[in-house]
Amino acid sequence: MKLTVNGKSAEVEAAVLGDVLRHYELEGKMVVAEIDGNIIDKSAWEQIGLTEGMRIELVHFVGGG
Amino acid sequence: MTTSQQQAGDPLIIGGKTLSSRFFLGTGRYPNPYVQNEAIRVSEAEVLTFAIRRINLEEPEDDAILHHLSFKPFTYLPNTSGASNADEAIRIARMARASGLSDWIKVEISANERTLLPDPLETLKATEVLAAEGFTVLPYTSDDPILCKRLEEAGAAAVMPGGAPIGTGLGILNPYNIGLIVEEAGVPIIIDAGLGSAADVVQAMELGVDGVLMNTPVAKAVDPVRMAQAMKLAIEAGRLSYLSGRIPKKRYATASSEYEALKVK
Repeated sequence: MKLTVNGKSAEVEAAVLGDVLRHYELEGKMVVAEIDGNIIDKSAWEQIGLTEGMRIELVHFVGGG
Repeated sequence: MTTSQQQAGDPLIIGGKTLSSRFFLGTGRYPNPYVQNEAIRVSEAEVLTFAIRRINLEEPEDDAILHHLSFKPFTYLPNTSGASNADEAIRIARMARASGLSDWIKVEISANERTLLPDPLETLKATEVLAAEGFTVLPYTSDDPILCKRLEEAGAAAVMPGGAPIGTGLGILNPYNIGLIVEEAGVPIIIDAGLGSAADVVQAMELGVDGVLMNTPVAKAVDPVRMAQAMKLAIEAGRLSYLSGRIPKKRYATASSEYEALKVK
């Protein structure tokens, strides 16, 4: 399925958001996900179905002041 | 008296939480994770700041930051750096909270890349919205006494005026303003940004601020671990000095021993 992930278009085998996380080997990491600008709670990652062209943002904590 | 005994009679409380240290430490720009962890340990800081960024999907290895920090319960203060207006800051804050790590947020909104100075109007807007959403909001702001009061009224749990622009090490450019901010404040005042050395930290604490947030002056010191300790001691020394009431400055000398009565002739 064609998605936009972190600003880049990507072809990902994914039915739910959790599949995208697994595709990028991010399961188990502290990640926050947005679909089309809406934050998706972790508990819903396996329920939220994806459709072609969705914009997904995956963010995490980095060092900062 | 030990440090913890001193703190027992002089607690710092933010958002209902009693903190064990007045040192807020940033987690960016250390030479390596080992030095960073040592600096954090030696600093005895409880509040640690972080930023939020897109994951680099080609190279997702740089998120180790939280994995090594299990040696103590910390209070995490994510920032909204990278935001240039209130809406962006609010979005980042909501993402930070969705991580489950913390509902504290340092509002940091810079509209000028050269100075990184905070945008006061957008900072006020974001503070209002996020405080209403139940965040514990600590806005990084300019050293303007009226603005700091406005942020307090908007619901800030603590207000964090900068000493000087981020990463400059210029120290406290306007001690007069910082003094006024402290006098007017009904919430804790934390000096955030611009400090360079332990001398700057002592000055800040002697002006009566409740704590200090630093990153670059520790992380980019030649010896970050020792500098973390120096800053910790400076915070304690400055706080004790502030509480103890310094002598007034005078133009001429006063002898330490009584001078006239028992003079050897």
